[in-house]
Amino acid sequence: MSQTITIDPVTRLEGHGKITIHLNDQGEVENANFHVTQVRGFERFSDGRPFYEMPSLMARICGICPVSHLIASAKACEAIMAVRIPHTAAQLRRMLNLAQMVQSHALSFFYLASPDLLLGMESDPVQRNILGVAAAKPELGRAGVGLRRFGQHIIELLGSKRIHTGWVVPGGVTEPLSSPKRDEILAMIPEAHKNLRLAIDAYKQIAASFKAEIDVFANFPTNYLGLVNEDESIEFTDGALRLIDAKGVTIEDGMTATRFTEAIGEAVEPYSYTKFAYYKPLGYPEGSYRVGPLARLNIVGRMGTPQADVELAEFKQLALGPVESSFHYHHARLVEMLYGIEKIEEILSDPKILDTHVRATAGVNRLEGAGQAEAPRGTLAHNYKVDENGKMLWANLVIATGQNNNAMNRGVLQAAKHYVKDGKFTEGLLNRIEAVVRTFDPCLSCSTHAFGQMPLEVSLIDAGGELIDRVVRG
Amino acid sequence: MARPGFLGGEFTLTVSSNPARCLILACGNTLRSDDGVGLRLAEWAEERFQENDNVRIVARQQWTPDLAEEIAAAESVLFVDSSIKSLPGHVCLVPVEPCAHPYGAATHRLDPDELLRLTHELYGSRSAHSMLLTVGAGSTEMGEALSDSVQAALPRARGVLEKTVLRFLEN
Repeated sequence: MSQTITIDPVTRLEGHGKITIHLNDQGEVENANFHVTQVRGFERFSDGRPFYEMPSLMARICGICPVSHLIASAKACEAIMAVRIPHTAAQLRRMLNLAQMVQSHALSFFYLASPDLLLGMESDPVQRNILGVAAAKPELGRAGVGLRRFGQHIIELLGSKRIHTGWVVPGGVTEPLSSPKRDEILAMIPEAHKNLRLAIDAYKQIAASFKAEIDVFANFPTNYLGLVNEDESIEFTDGALRLIDAKGVTIEDGMTATRFTEAIGEAVEPYSYTKFAYYKPLGYPEGSYRVGPLARLNIVGRMGTPQADVELAEFKQLALGPVESSFHYHHARLVEMLYGIEKIEEILSDPKILDTHVRATAGVNRLEGAGQAEAPRGTLAHNYKVDENGKMLWANLVIATGQNNNAMNRGVLQAAKHYVKDGKFTEGLLNRIEAVVRTFDPCLSCSTHAFGQMPLEVSLIDAGGELIDRVVRG
Repeated sequence: MARPGFLGGEFTLTVSSNPARCLILACGNTLRSDDGVGLRLAEWAEERFQENDNVRIVARQQWTPDLAEEIAAAESVLFVDSSIKSLPGHVCLVPVEPCAHPYGAATHRLDPDELLRLTHELYGSRSAHSMLLTVGAGSTEMGEALSDSVQAALPRARGVLEKTVLRFLEN
């Protein structure tokens, strides 16, 4: 008799989701789905608001990566205003976005993933959390806290608040950077480097012991999308998008935010509130692709900072073409954090960073605008339509988790097929299936533009549709 | 230091750049009625101890693992929160010890005893005094106003907070 396993909630993620695993009459995994089970509807309630309110409204979608929403939204507004923001404002935003990336990646790596990585996938679930990590590897726990503080304090120094700052506005930022704040950030750089080096060294020591997981954690060819600069270096705030195929061949380059809205479609599946993004010229699901740290490192030729370039070269040794296993998202996050720290120092070394001209002004000059940025977990795009008075008529947001949705589902299926045999499974095996989702660090609140913690459910369903087993957490 | 808009929810008051002897760690959400009482008490404490370099006040929507670093730097810590387990308006002050065994998923949000345990594991330090001050919530529905019972309890809660902090500083 066929069966279904349910994991509900999936833990150590941002938001609510569950996994169902369908077994056939022989007890073999036939299908598996990752369901996002919450909905909020930000695109609807922006209707009728003045467009210049959009950045601060949209930032409320998320408490982890509000900066990315602020920036993508402000850029969409600037497309409507048809303005180019001052150089200093662009650099300050770039620094803010990098600070957010560092603190978000630190949360993902140290708080959410490291219990699996440092304590083991089969370790006691009671201990498999940040407290367990603190007991086993206090120096790494302190490094994680330190890197979170580094990123969050920069955000607070620039925007006066750690979360939901109103500093980024259409046209630039509200205030310039002061010299004392610049010096305070620069003084934090050495400690951040030290903490990150500790994490990179620790990860490299243990990564080889996860070869079995690397083999089946969403390890398959896909397309990859991310922002890149003209000099082939990585970009989080400006630049243009590049889409490559599974062999690393460029499918489309120089994709602007406007082009993104034309080229990317969103499919709907009945089991999830999150849409499934795909590249329209290739159709769905063939045009599905991955975004985020793994994708970004796959599409760029260089990071653009000295130490991160060394780490990127080592990362690219993991495969002949694009690195395919989503397990390597963890590694990619560490390389990006290193880049973030180096780049912040570079930005602050530019004397123009203290320039006081940080905002351009204009009214409505176009009736539609699109903006894009890299959120920690991948490409984020906002697209707005307004009337002549600047009132919002329509909004569409394409977020990272929707763009990774197809790969996450395929990854869950791949892992389930590997770990569930004869309808039998253990907690440790189910944890591995959850861990596949964790590698992507999805933000389900963002993906449905909804709010909540991330409990998860795994269901085991038989061929007749009957529920055989169900694990619920949360 | 000028503090950001209080209704934004979170703030950190840094009276002195040196580690403070007493840390007030408040948590709550001012958009969920009585759940915001901890942040309102923190706001009051900010005024009350404005001139006192030995007091540091941190207000958050939830207590996250990062706060272990703040706790490790202080001699004493007073957690301030609302409680849905107490009767509406009931003011309660209890000592907190590090939990013996972790019991939650412990990622985005920690309880005071888990935070103390985490602080001890990470930094090897234990606060000389750690207390939890709670005010029983009457309503946690959407809204910025406190319920009548919690509003009425504010003077008593402020008094307990003040007395506790002053006692911490005396020791």
